[in-house]
Amino acid sequence: MKFNRRRFLKASCATAAAFTAPGFLAHTAHAAREKELNILCWEGYNSDEVLDPFRKSTGAKVQAESGTSDPDMINKLRAGEINVWDVINVNQPWAREQMYPEGLIKALPRDKFEPYMENMMEAFKPPYKWALSHDGKDLIGMTQRFGPFNFVVNTDKISRETAEDEGFDLFNEASNAGKFGILTYDNWNIYHMCVGAGVDPFKKHTDAEIDAFEQTARKWFKGAKLLTDDLVQMNLALINGEIDLYCTGGTYTASPARFDGATNIRGITPARGPMDGKGGIVWVEVTSVVNNPQVSPLAEEFLHYVQQPEACHAVAFSEGTYNPITQMADSKVFSQFTKEELDAIQWDTLEEELSRAVDYNINPDYDRMDVIYNAAKREA
Amino acid sequence: MASPAAELESRAVESSSRWAEFRAWITQPGVLCSTPVLLLLLIGFLAPLLVVVGYSLMPPRTFDFGHVPTLENFISIVNESYYRSFLWAFGLACITVVLLLIICYPLAYGMAKLFGHWAHLLTLLLVIPLFVSENIRLFGWVLFLIKRGVLLGALESWFGIGADSMLYSVPAIVLGLVYVYLPFTLFPVMLGISMVPRDVTEAARDLGASRWQVFREIELPLAMPGILIGAMLTFVLSLGSLAESKILGGQAVIMIADDIETAFTFGQNWPLGSALSVLLILLVGSLVLYVLRRLDLDEILGRR
Repeated sequence: MKFNRRRFLKASCATAAAFTAPGFLAHTAHAAREKELNILCWEGYNSDEVLDPFRKSTGAKVQAESGTSDPDMINKLRAGEINVWDVINVNQPWAREQMYPEGLIKALPRDKFEPYMENMMEAFKPPYKWALSHDGKDLIGMTQRFGPFNFVVNTDKISRETAEDEGFDLFNEASNAGKFGILTYDNWNIYHMCVGAGVDPFKKHTDAEIDAFEQTARKWFKGAKLLTDDLVQMNLALINGEIDLYCTGGTYTASPARFDGATNIRGITPARGPMDGKGGIVWVEVTSVVNNPQVSPLAEEFLHYVQQPEACHAVAFSEGTYNPITQMADSKVFSQFTKEELDAIQWDTLEEELSRAVDYNINPDYDRMDVIYNAAKREA
Repeated sequence: MASPAAELESRAVESSSRWAEFRAWITQPGVLCSTPVLLLLLIGFLAPLLVVVGYSLMPPRTFDFGHVPTLENFISIVNESYYRSFLWAFGLACITVVLLLIICYPLAYGMAKLFGHWAHLLTLLLVIPLFVSENIRLFGWVLFLIKRGVLLGALESWFGIGADSMLYSVPAIVLGLVYVYLPFTLFPVMLGISMVPRDVTEAARDLGASRWQVFREIELPLAMPGILIGAMLTFVLSLGSLAESKILGGQAVIMIADDIETAFTFGQNWPLGSALSVLLILLVGSLVLYVLRRLDLDEILGRR
């Protein structure tokens, strides 16, 4: 098992969470939680760069844990840890479609948070669909990090133009068998295999579409030279010429390599595809306050804190991966970024890529496709 | 035939003597001293196992115990192609054990009987890397074997030999397993060999036994407990290994530990992951019990 700082923090948090679990917490008065905050998030928000200034200014004990997938984190709340966590940070559809309707998160005061949204990039200004409840009345979360997430190429081997033009068909071509890797973020792989099969992943599928997905999944797993869930290992293989491209990747995975100087590693958003003509997918994180019966008063304060320019930059460029943030339209935030940092997150083409991508959403046939996906992986 | 009253009396005597026996047993200093550890093991070791067994009987994709128990997960494991992952894990574990025994026996023999003080240095050299995380050591191998890495890069720039990548294949996984689990075979085998008294081998030679006969009829049987323990340890660890197939093998094959991890993480199917774990525990557990029944631990530890 990898034993880096993140895992250590994760293990410590898990232990801490176990001790603060419902039984222990039930006896804790609300007042006792004024100086503690538990955050369930994608990695980055749990880094010291982000948390230390907040710890210092509030004197609070702040603990954060990251998960392997959105459902992984949400199921923690469903399994009874709603009493443990104060803030949850997952990708865009979950807050609106599942967590808010299920009463797992609570609404935010609009008057306090919407002014921040006015300064966000055009696509995320209010009324931003994923930050609102279905009836549009309640503000249920704040956006920050986002990124197109499709595939990554070594532009010395495949030009950006060719990659954008061919899109996911690159992985279908027999001549590319043995030249690509699959970064095994299973849920994303499933979406991309759908797109590769010419199927929109975010709708109810017919049996014929499921068959097309299965054939693509089997073809890609057979053709893949390398499967790994470690983006560093995948980038290393791409830089060293073991592979020419990998799928399930984007700014999030290419940025660490680009920031290290390997600017020939580039995230690609296909020019066209089966999702209303679009071929790319973009994720946007929404951070919400958990409907914890004894929620820490610091939860909302933390959401205010991460809107400040320095904290915004820390969130975008925390350890591990680097990502654009919705607050970059604000000049005070934008001025925090250096030229190299902007180049690492492909700022030059970001807007264009956004226009070619649809929002990451929930796949109604995920469970069925997950079984097919894993069988294809085992049997390749 | 005894009268009913006499029978009752004898039963009472029997139960009171059983109670006395139990009291005598429980008040032994050994039992009393081990009670805290036993309780800790019960809570820390047995309880999580019971939770896993409990989950394995819950319907797929549920997250609590409030459902009617079902064998659905086990049925879907049989119907799906999970046998492949089990077979790959068992096959690779067997290959690793065989390779490690071939490598370790001569080395252990040297360390136990021939190298003298140098054996300590060698032990140290083998033990020190254990302080470094397994993943980091395996990643070191990746940098060594990757295209344009230490080995292939040097071959290309010094001799102009452009060899193909050595990573992301089954042999790369076996290399990782052999490398990581070498100490786990070596030291028990060394212990086994050091238990063979020199007098016995010398006596055999005096009586005219050939080298082969001494090895086959004296050394091997006497060192067998150590060899079996080393082999068992390596087998069990390889069976549950994950990092080697992920880091060096690029998941060229999917081993069972990988399927279990996927079920618990991306699959969010805790009952399926639990059912796979229960099957693995049952398979490994029965194997370990079988081997342990053939071994006398007291003898190995020199208590007899």
